[in-house]
Amino acid sequence: MENSIYLGLSRQITLRTNMDIIANNVANMNTTGYRGQNTLFQEYLSKPRGYDDPLSFVNDEGHYQITAPGPLRQTGANLDAAIVGEGFFSIQAPSGEIEYTRDGNFSMATDGTLVTQAGFPVASAGGGSIIIPPNSSQVNIDENGNVSNQDGVLGQLGVFEFENVQQLEQQGNNLYALVGGEAVPATESRVVQGHLEGSNVQPVVEMTRMIDTLREYQTVSRAMERENERLRSAIQKLTGGS
Amino acid sequence: MRSLDIGATGMLAQQLNVDVISNNIANMTTTGYKRQRPAFLDLIYQNIDKPGSTSSDSGTIVPTGLQLGLGVRAGAVYREHAQGPIQITENTLDVAITGEGFFQVELPSGDTAYTRDGTFQLNENGELVTVQGFLIDPGITIPQDALSIEINREGEVLVTQPGQTATSSIGQLQTARFVNPAGLEAIGNNLLLETDASGSPTIGTPGQNEFGALQQSALEQSNVNVVEEITLLITAQRSYEMNSNVISTSDEMLQTVTQLR
Repeated sequence: MENSIYLGLSRQITLRTNMDIIANNVANMNTTGYRGQNTLFQEYLSKPRGYDDPLSFVNDEGHYQITAPGPLRQTGANLDAAIVGEGFFSIQAPSGEIEYTRDGNFSMATDGTLVTQAGFPVASAGGGSIIIPPNSSQVNIDENGNVSNQDGVLGQLGVFEFENVQQLEQQGNNLYALVGGEAVPATESRVVQGHLEGSNVQPVVEMTRMIDTLREYQTVSRAMERENERLRSAIQKLTGGS
Repeated sequence: MRSLDIGATGMLAQQLNVDVISNNIANMTTTGYKRQRPAFLDLIYQNIDKPGSTSSDSGTIVPTGLQLGLGVRAGAVYREHAQGPIQITENTLDVAITGEGFFQVELPSGDTAYTRDGTFQLNENGELVTVQGFLIDPGITIPQDALSIEINREGEVLVTQPGQTATSSIGQLQTARFVNPAGLEAIGNNLLLETDASGSPTIGTPGQNEFGALQQSALEQSNVNVVEEITLLITAQRSYEMNSNVISTSDEMLQTVTQLR
């Protein structure tokens, strides 16, 4: 009998998840290389005893990464790099695994190792680190990710592409871990020096989705309230109460 | 509701962004100032459904999973050491560095600080000092009777004295370079200190190898580009508003809940 309330509740829970994901997208509107997320919902059918038609609940199934490229911003810094195409830079994460990022805002550690802003070393195409000697005057990064100074090539930035980019799991610190499938050296991606890729979150879309979420939440809430009223008056009438 | 806290992290990040931008704008006419930029990183993720977990006994897997992000944090505020524009002045003791390098300044504590600001003066002993009166290292003393002072692009200081036609060398300015100038620590008064992240300085002659040449009667202006800063300020302000919108929306959702009977 209370099924309609539970149906509403299932939707409200998913709407809260939706709101959390929108909030994270908005908070990361200025995070370099951040990719927005969208939620996926699915119908969950349940056939209680005595009913002919199944009830349709909502369940949050997962989310997917928005893969549209973010805007490129020119910074002029020679250790900044952006990727045009579907590739990701490879980074040596503290877990010891190789993780991936679109954030090419690199810097140098004390010993000249190329690191991310969180201090993790950038992995070269072969897997090692890239070390920039102190006497380097001009560091260049070419289209294929080769890092060179006046004396020649120092190493190649690891740029990888994936069969299914949705198999990357977000780790924080702008990093992604690969949970399935294989990383293959990039063939379709191009590295651009002196640029950074902004977040691909579109504020207008997020704000619209946010209003949508709020209104839907309120509507479901009102429906639940009415259902509650209906039950109350039904009970009162049937029991002959005042 | 996570979105309340997430919105708060977003507002904090944008507040820091505005702080950094306003400091840049405040220093747009500071000699030798280098603009700063914040770098933002996303926070850890909460795994509700791990991607790749099995969804049935026959081995099918969840293709995407459900991960909830918990907001944003500032990872670093770094300095962009791009060359600032050179402004010609009439002052013979103004020196600009074109290219890489820093002047070395001896602090009253005895430590060495580094600066791109070449607005030099003379103290009562005729020694070359900064605007605050700190000595330049290596020290240069200008003779009292010097008629003209010339500083060439390699940092050699030459003076003409009465009764002489040729100039005589009285000292040599040297500059310091760092592997990672972005890692230097700013202490105010246009001074920077060496840190572990910047590496130790390499001292050398200006205009040689990778050291930038000197330019007399010129100053390096701040590398702050006002148009760029204002654009970033607008973006930061709007992002701040949107994050506050997230908070008020979450609040309204919670309000709806409290009105349920």
